[in-house]
Amino acid sequence: MASPHTARMRVLALPVGIAVAALTMAGCASGGATGGQTAAASTPNPDLEQSIVFALKEDPKCLDPQQTSMTTALNVGRQLVDSLLDQNPDTGEIVPWLATEWSANTDLTAYTFTLKDGVTFSDGTPLTSQVVADNFDAIAALGASASLANGYLAGYAGTTVTSDTTFTVNFSAPNVQFAQGATTMSLGILSDASAKASAEERCAKPVGSGPFTLASYVPNDSVEIVKRAGYDWASGLRTHQGEAYLEKVTFPIITEASVRTGGLQSGEYDVIQDLPYVDESRFTTDSYHLYAKANPGVPNSLIVNTTKGLMGDEAVRQAISKSLDRDKINVIAGSASGKAPTSVLTSSTPGYTDLGDVLAHDPDGAKKLLEGDGWTLGSDGIYQKNGQKLTVTVTAFYAQDVLEAAQIQLKDAGIDLQLNMVSSGDFFGAIASGNYEMLGAGLTRTDPDVLRVLLSSTSKSRWGIVDDPELESMLQKQAQTADAAARQKIVDDIQKTVAEKAYVMPTLETVQLHASRAGVGGIEFDSAARVQLFDAAVTAK
Amino acid sequence: MDSSGGAGRGRVIARFLLPKIAQCIFVVWATYTVAFLLIHALPGDPILAALSVKGGDATTTDPEQLAAVRARYGLDGPVWQQYLTNFLNLFRGDLGVSIATGQPVSEMVGRAFPHTAAVAVFALLVGFLGALGFTVWAYIARPAWVRNVVVQVPPLGIAIPAFLSGVVLISVFSFGLGWFPASGTNGFASVVLPGITLALPTGAIFFQVFSAAVFDAGASPFVFTANAKGLSQSAVVFRHVLRNALLPSITIIGLQIGYLAGGTAVVETVFSRDGIGRLTVDAVLARDINVVLGVVVVVAVVYAVVTLIVDALYGVIDPRTRTRLTSGAKRTAVTA
Repeated sequence: MASPHTARMRVLALPVGIAVAALTMAGCASGGATGGQTAAASTPNPDLEQSIVFALKEDPKCLDPQQTSMTTALNVGRQLVDSLLDQNPDTGEIVPWLATEWSANTDLTAYTFTLKDGVTFSDGTPLTSQVVADNFDAIAALGASASLANGYLAGYAGTTVTSDTTFTVNFSAPNVQFAQGATTMSLGILSDASAKASAEERCAKPVGSGPFTLASYVPNDSVEIVKRAGYDWASGLRTHQGEAYLEKVTFPIITEASVRTGGLQSGEYDVIQDLPYVDESRFTTDSYHLYAKANPGVPNSLIVNTTKGLMGDEAVRQAISKSLDRDKINVIAGSASGKAPTSVLTSSTPGYTDLGDVLAHDPDGAKKLLEGDGWTLGSDGIYQKNGQKLTVTVTAFYAQDVLEAAQIQLKDAGIDLQLNMVSSGDFFGAIASGNYEMLGAGLTRTDPDVLRVLLSSTSKSRWGIVDDPELESMLQKQAQTADAAARQKIVDDIQKTVAEKAYVMPTLETVQLHASRAGVGGIEFDSAARVQLFDAAVTAK
Repeated sequence: MDSSGGAGRGRVIARFLLPKIAQCIFVVWATYTVAFLLIHALPGDPILAALSVKGGDATTTDPEQLAAVRARYGLDGPVWQQYLTNFLNLFRGDLGVSIATGQPVSEMVGRAFPHTAAVAVFALLVGFLGALGFTVWAYIARPAWVRNVVVQVPPLGIAIPAFLSGVVLISVFSFGLGWFPASGTNGFASVVLPGITLALPTGAIFFQVFSAAVFDAGASPFVFTANAKGLSQSAVVFRHVLRNALLPSITIIGLQIGYLAGGTAVVETVFSRDGIGRLTVDAVLARDINVVLGVVVVVAVVYAVVTLIVDALYGVIDPRTRTRLTSGAKRTAVTA
């Protein structure tokens, strides 16, 4: 999930950050002068204890990666649980992990896997086809409690076990994103006992086959994981094989951003999750590493409901999209490591197409569109037509700063944007009732199929409500096309249509931004922008 | 004569305490009911709110799945039915199950409460001792301008928000000097900084009430007499002034405990401590009805019990109440 807490924390962080900055500068200023860097592959220093303290920004609440979609929880869960496949975050290529081989039938309704030999869970039980089948059955039974995993398993019709190491996952309808979904921790494989346990038990103590095992989880306090002895089935994307380098990772839960940054500076924490963007410049010295990756999926956007207000008017939608200066929004509300969105998928999503020209800031174009549509500028600087003001409302539950930046830009363009900031529950309440003009949010997924989830009328939890049969057929077609090149062509067309018709108006690519001291290296992002600690190591004091 | 006197006295004390106990039970019931009505009057769907805690952007809005969850947590019946079931369950010590985490609420509160209590007790002690120290200092300080300066210091404790003082304490004593941990709930060391943060406003309020009472008592005729008798300064302060100033302070302690039991959210957030305050904030944000009500009941019980104890203490400390009780006992003894 695209960190709803970040924005709130950022608001709080500013004054406190200043106070802490002043105090720490006076008390324990740290050295270093020039350009920060991202860590490359690293080897552990044998003289140092291989244990790190990794400050989380919030209580993970549920550690079971099949149930939670919360980034913080998945950052922990990823270390405990392996997946059938892995995905190269740079190329989008899918590679073996727990499964050595896999193939799909031509209409994408059956996927056959072959499991690696000798894989065991941390409770000692072996990984078999039946365990995988039980995992998928359990996810289906969890229903609303495992909504993301069930999204990847859409149309699940059972798993056929053919031998201890081969099985076929069946779907009632084509499921193009399943191979990709199988690389995520949402479809990570739990032990037989875990898969059969109650939802609550699994949240507290999931047992997987990962390179680390859970030592303790005290809610609102800390999580501790330790190295799994004998682990030897890392995916080929990792820089080493065998066991993890780190012996122990302690995750204290530090909700206050200024305490996390202060603790990183003082050496209390080795790594901190979610460095506030406003503090980024303080950690660009040689003493620290920064880790930044844009969430894959749909960037933070205005997503329209064409049945409400003025949103059915294409000229209005396009004028709004053209009036947004995305580079400026990124400067105001984004990370220095991030960039402005250039498509309705983020640049880190497989299948992304550069549509920078469609999404360029074009105030004159917006003006022409509106005036051609019969709108005239009122004395208050807002366009009106037949006595109706050009007012649109966006409902959102995080990233208020992004929306405020957009609000200012739209006001300059004669468009009145009203913000309706609500709680997360009320946000989904609005989606359930369809009672909104626009939603302000992003949707984190690692496959372009996210656009179907977001916009298709057959999607059970769709956010964007559009009546466009041509788009609908493209969304369905890409989901049934096995050939990568042919599918990419459709995905290109979908992105173009969605951006041009301004069904989705991107505002900001949300960046996952973490920091560590320079003596810790090898922390990497997986394709879902979650942290992978298998290659992490302490390299210097 | 002795036994009947004892029984009579017991009856009088019962007559003194029973209405207060009844009042105490009423407060808990009324708090629960008002909280229940308020949380149900809020717009929005608690099921969606709870699901979005775990589900994030993948939270389902599929009506069929939502209905299934609603039934699982007993939120599908009419409100009065939920009220009755939940309220009756209270008497079995069953606070229900958290919708967001699936854990029993009593377990969650039981886990968080000791952490909050540790900080609250520490804050009360430090705040009280600090207020006592400042009051005595102000009382004996000469010349007048020194006294005026001393009197102005403690109110700073309430003027500076806990949020700021907490972060400053962390910066200096955790990150700067490394004396105390900046976060967590491990042992006494982790209680000190949050305790001091909370002691500042608590102590400031103590000081306001306590110093006023002390100066009041100091200006009274019996102190004049004590001084005239040639008693030492310390004997006058401790034996006469402070003792007489104790009563209003006890009242304020009662109120402070109520505040500390539920008002620690900011401190717990700054110091990343598990506790009742953070539990409540999380629960309110997630519209986690059962947890909110569970916390409300527990805090209400603490508050009511403390008030009851304070009321009972009046009977012991305040000579007026004490004599009324004992003379009442004597009267009954005589008539018996």
